[in-house]
Amino acid sequence: MGALHSLGLFFGHVADFATEPVTLLVLFGATIMGILFGATPGLTATLGVALLTTLTYNMSHSMALVALLAIYVGGIYGGSYASILINIPGTAAAAATALDGYPIAVRGEGGRALGLTTTASAIGTMVGMLFVVSLSPLISELALQFTSFEFFLLAFFGIIISGTLTSPDLVYKGWIAGFLGLFLATVGREGLQFYPRFTFGNSNLEGGLEVVPVLIGAFGIPQIIQVLRDKFRPKEAQKLDRIMPEFGTIARNVKHIIRSALIGVGIGAVPGIGEDIAGWVSYGAAKNSSDHPEEFGKGSYTAIVSTETANNACIGGAMIPLLNLGVPGSPPAAMLLGALMLHGIAPGPMLRIDNPGFIEEVTAILLLASVAMWISGMLLAKQVVKVLRIPPAIFMPVIAVLCVIGSYALGTKVFNLYLMVPVGIVAYFLTEMGYPIAPLVIGVILGPMADQNLRRALMVSGGSFLPVITRPVSLILFLVIILTVLSQVPAYKRLVKALRARLFPKKAA
Amino acid sequence: MMEKTKLRQADLITSVFLMLFGLWVLSEGFQMPMQDTYGGVKNVWYVSPALFPLIVGFGVVILGAVLLVGSVRAGAAASLAAALRAYRPGLSESNLRFLGILLAIGSFVYFYIPRVDFVLTIALFLSYFIPAFYYDTQRDLRRLSAVYGAVFLSFLVLYWTGVAAFLNSAFEFSTDVIALSAVVGVNIYARRLAGTDPDRLRRFRVGFAVAIATPLLLAPVFRFLLYVRLPHEGGIVQLMQVIRYSLR
Repeated sequence: MGALHSLGLFFGHVADFATEPVTLLVLFGATIMGILFGATPGLTATLGVALLTTLTYNMSHSMALVALLAIYVGGIYGGSYASILINIPGTAAAAATALDGYPIAVRGEGGRALGLTTTASAIGTMVGMLFVVSLSPLISELALQFTSFEFFLLAFFGIIISGTLTSPDLVYKGWIAGFLGLFLATVGREGLQFYPRFTFGNSNLEGGLEVVPVLIGAFGIPQIIQVLRDKFRPKEAQKLDRIMPEFGTIARNVKHIIRSALIGVGIGAVPGIGEDIAGWVSYGAAKNSSDHPEEFGKGSYTAIVSTETANNACIGGAMIPLLNLGVPGSPPAAMLLGALMLHGIAPGPMLRIDNPGFIEEVTAILLLASVAMWISGMLLAKQVVKVLRIPPAIFMPVIAVLCVIGSYALGTKVFNLYLMVPVGIVAYFLTEMGYPIAPLVIGVILGPMADQNLRRALMVSGGSFLPVITRPVSLILFLVIILTVLSQVPAYKRLVKALRARLFPKKAA
Repeated sequence: MMEKTKLRQADLITSVFLMLFGLWVLSEGFQMPMQDTYGGVKNVWYVSPALFPLIVGFGVVILGAVLLVGSVRAGAAASLAAALRAYRPGLSESNLRFLGILLAIGSFVYFYIPRVDFVLTIALFLSYFIPAFYYDTQRDLRRLSAVYGAVFLSFLVLYWTGVAAFLNSAFEFSTDVIALSAVVGVNIYARRLAGTDPDRLRRFRVGFAVAIATPLLLAPVFRFLLYVRLPHEGGIVQLMQVIRYSLR
């Protein structure tokens, strides 16, 4: 009955959205905007979601969701344009696509490649959507059993795992970024006793740091500085021939598509890990299982189908922890969480109770967004390619203006701008020094959850940490955190190596 | 991202800052109510508002120390000392570009936005920012930065000496007129820098069009469609309002 009811709600939402002209206009407009953001090197899907959040402030939550999910889906797909045609990933998510996409375009088959990535991305998004709708009831049911200890550990797990997997240099730099994010989250009056922390007597800080200006600063300002400081110049784009859906090639790659979609969903569901990692892991898996691994890197269609299916499937994956646990699965999902909070929706285990039908609404929008993306990709690719010719020195200053107005408009507080700029400059230097920004952002978002749940949990247990090991989910999360941290300690690594050598002497030899 | 040797040198410096920062967080945390009463509530350590900052501060200190040890082991101290000895003062092109970006964004956010008409603020910001980087030569960036910097200094003097307030009391839109003159002045200078070269002239025209069109598009969208009160609504925004109401 439950499943049938969900299915009914899902199709009801699809029909509602698809028959409303204004919604369709917003859907296609946001999708195309996302494709443009994704296709433009230097702009990201996260920044697109961040900037559009401002414009959705006065919309109903349904319309806002349509706009934000559509720009997210379009943004992740749009990255493939620059990867294929100029060998520079439009977004990090499409970095793996460039390896084989560009050689294909050089062969004069750019249109065919884009046709394939468009169809693969649409399939990826739809598979992700299926997982959102099928796994959400189970996960939210499980999450309802969570106590404060689990939520505290879940927040910490998100920060640690995101720091571990996204760090481009040393792993503990990811953790440092996470702790800096947690510090930013402590600023303001705390939630239990309303004691002012790190406010320096400034009334603007009493309510804490607003998430949206911090996110816009952390993602937008470093991008502007990097592109303009490093004199980024777009290359001449390869010529684009006719774009076709390429269903035949899709059918031949069906096993790669299924595997990549599963990888995408799985990686997306891990807190804080983005579409870029999904793309790379899927590329590696496709190469390892391919009958012709030697073709990878030289223009393999299997490669681009795999990466593009995975990075778009990641969107659905990222929605699963976001909607059911309140933990964002990727940086754009983190931005989406901020946007949902602005619209008075609190994702988490109570979402299905407080907002029945909300998850079905999200999945309906994901389906429509993937269709809109496919149609826009097929019809407008030749126009979108023109974006690649716009010099960054023109659009980056305009993006700076949008960042400023976006940060200001949400609270109409100039103080938000004063906050956005230093956060952006610090984020830029951190990026330059090999610190990932995703854990910092996850720290800012999950900080209050970690703080309040830790104290609440200790209040209930009378200051005892024993429930951490007596409750199964707590214990698992705790062990994963400890093992992740220990795995970076040299003494532990030596111990594991010695143990392996003793237990499996042949393998070690 | 930096190359490996420079990364380790940066790690050495940042680790010290991180540890100091962590210690400061800890010291602030220890000043928060731990066992005493706050707001009529008797505290115990585990509900204290200090608990989380202490965890964060402790974490930052530990991780800073790990970073310090790692960088020292990688030979960052010696290579940093060698780099400092070999350092010759001067401004590289990349640093010049960085300063240009800071000048544009810093003056825009911290000075113009709260004080000058929003449309003129954006137009002035883009009139400098776009040609300074779009002309793509160090010489143009330096010259445009000097002119924009001089305009910015003049505004600072106007506001700090109280002249701006005096002028505005005499005529409400005085500073808007000055800002409009600054927009015109910066654009005239950018046009002069473009010279007669067709490519540079094209760049000027594109930059000018974007600098003027962007605020004229954004301000009405945010003010009249999204009902966002703009940070400073001077003469141009008020003129837009008059036009809007006369059209209704």
